[in-house]
Amino acid sequence: MTTPRATDLPVPALRCRDVRKTFRGEVDALQGIDLEIPRGAFVGLLGPNGAGKTTLIRSIVGLVIPDGGVLEVLGHSMIGAEAPAARRLVGYAPQEVALDRFVKVHDVLTLHGRYFGMRTVDAARRADELLDVFDLESKGKSLPSTLSGGMRRRLMLARALVHEPALVILDEPTAGVDVELRDELWVYIQKLHAQGTTILLTTHYIEEAEALCDEIAFIRAGQIVMEGTPASLRSAHAVERLEDVYRTVMSA
Amino acid sequence: MSTDSLERAQWRGAAALAQREVTRVLRLWSQTIAPNVVSSVLFVAIFGIALGTRIRKIDGIEYQSFIVPGLILMGIGTAAYSNTASSLYQARFDGFIDDPVSGPMRARHLLAAYLAGGVVRGLAIGALTLIASLFLVDLPAVNPISAIVVFLLASIAFSALGVAIGLIAKTWDQQSYVGALVLQPLVFLGGVFYSIKLLAEPWRGLTRADPILYMVAAARHGMLGTAEISIWLCLSVTLAITVALVAWAGWLVGRGTGLRT
Repeated sequence: MTTPRATDLPVPALRCRDVRKTFRGEVDALQGIDLEIPRGAFVGLLGPNGAGKTTLIRSIVGLVIPDGGVLEVLGHSMIGAEAPAARRLVGYAPQEVALDRFVKVHDVLTLHGRYFGMRTVDAARRADELLDVFDLESKGKSLPSTLSGGMRRRLMLARALVHEPALVILDEPTAGVDVELRDELWVYIQKLHAQGTTILLTTHYIEEAEALCDEIAFIRAGQIVMEGTPASLRSAHAVERLEDVYRTVMSA
Repeated sequence: MSTDSLERAQWRGAAALAQREVTRVLRLWSQTIAPNVVSSVLFVAIFGIALGTRIRKIDGIEYQSFIVPGLILMGIGTAAYSNTASSLYQARFDGFIDDPVSGPMRARHLLAAYLAGGVVRGLAIGALTLIASLFLVDLPAVNPISAIVVFLLASIAFSALGVAIGLIAKTWDQQSYVGALVLQPLVFLGGVFYSIKLLAEPWRGLTRADPILYMVAAARHGMLGTAEISIWLCLSVTLAITVALVAWAGWLVGRGTGLRT
C-alpha cells in the first residue's frame, strides 16, 4: 500500500488555515481560524454575536481580505491572483437584505448571473427557474422595494444561487422570517444539499443547525473552538441537546 | 456553469455592470440628463444671447458662440463626476455593491464598468447641449476630431474622479462637497466664460494652474478654431490628467478601498 500524495487527496470545498484579521489594528476579529469543509458537506457555524462569524464568511466570499493565513475554495486561494477564480465558485446570501433598488426583481437575478460570467440568455433562464422555485414569478417586473420582507429574503437566497455555486454561504438566512417561510427555505436548502452543493450556514437557531447540518463548528473570540457532528459533540459532553453543548463551550 | 475562460466571464460581468449603470442613467433621465442640459442651454441663452450683445467679440468670435464649448465641457464634466460618485456611494451605502464585488471581476473590470456609466451620461449631456445650442448660435466645428477627443477624455477623467471620490467618501455630503466646492469652481475659473487673454496677472498665472483651462481651450479650438493655448499642450495636459485620474481610481478599486475591508 502506498501513501497517497497530497495532490491525490480530494480537494475540500473550503480550507482555512490560521486565517487572521484585525480591524484598524485594534479589533482581532479572526485569531487563527482553522476549518476544513469537505465537498458536499452541510456545516453549521455557531457562535455568539461578535465571535467573528460574519468576518469569516465575508473573508470566504472575498469581501474581507485576511491579514494572513490560507483560505482556499476548491483549491483556489481566496487571497491574491487566484481570488477571482475562487470567488466565482461561491454563492453568498448575506444577513442584511441589500438589493439594487434601481433594478427589477428578474433583473436582480439576471445581473447577478452575468456578474459571475453567465451568458445573458443562460442567466435569464436561470432567473426564471429560481423565481418559480421561490414563488416570486409574479414579481419579476417589480422593484425590490415593493416586496414584503419575506419575499426580499427569498430573493436574496435566489440571487446567491443563480450561478449554481459549488459552495453556498448562508449568513442567518432565516433571521426575522416567519415559521412557514423558514420551513420552505429549509426544504429548498436541503434539496440543494442533496444535489451535492456544499453549504456553510450561520444561524442563532441551534435546534435548526442540529437538525440540518452534518457538522457543527463553534466559533468564539475569532477562533474555532470545537467542531464535529452533532452526535459526537453531544456525546463528548454527555448531554442530549446541542444547545447544552453550545452553552458549555461558550461559557468556558 | 459553462467552462468559459475566466477572462471572458469577467468581461461579461463588466458588460453587465456597465449596462446596469447606463440603464440607470437612461431610466432616471429626468434626474440624470435633463437638468444638466437645461442649465447649460440657459447659460447659452442668458449669458450669451442676452448679455452677449454688450460684450465685444473674443478672438473674432461672437460671445454667445465663444462660451458654448466650455459649457458643453462643463456639462460633461459635472455629469460624469456626479454619476460615478453618486452611483458608487449609493451602492456602498445600500450594501448592494457586494453583489458585483463578490464576483470574479478584477479591479479593471469594475473600473471599466463604472466609467462607462459616467462617460455615457457625460457624452449624452454634451451631445444634447450641442444640439440645443445649434438652434441658438453658430458653431463652425473647425477641428471636430480634437473636440471629440477632448470631450471623450474629459468624460473619462471626470468619471474616474467620481469613482475615486465615490469610494473614499464616508458620507453623502462628502461626495457632494467635492462636486460643489472643488470641481465646480475649477470649471468656472477654467475660462468657460472668458478668455485667459483678458486676465491680468496674477489671475492669468493662477488660471494657467487650473487643468480645466486646457480642456476648455482644446474644446474651443476644436469647435471654433481659436488658439488661446497650443492645442498640443491642451491635449497633452488633458491626456495626462485623464491617465492620472484613471490610475488613481484603478489603484483605489484594486486595493479594495470602500469595497473590501
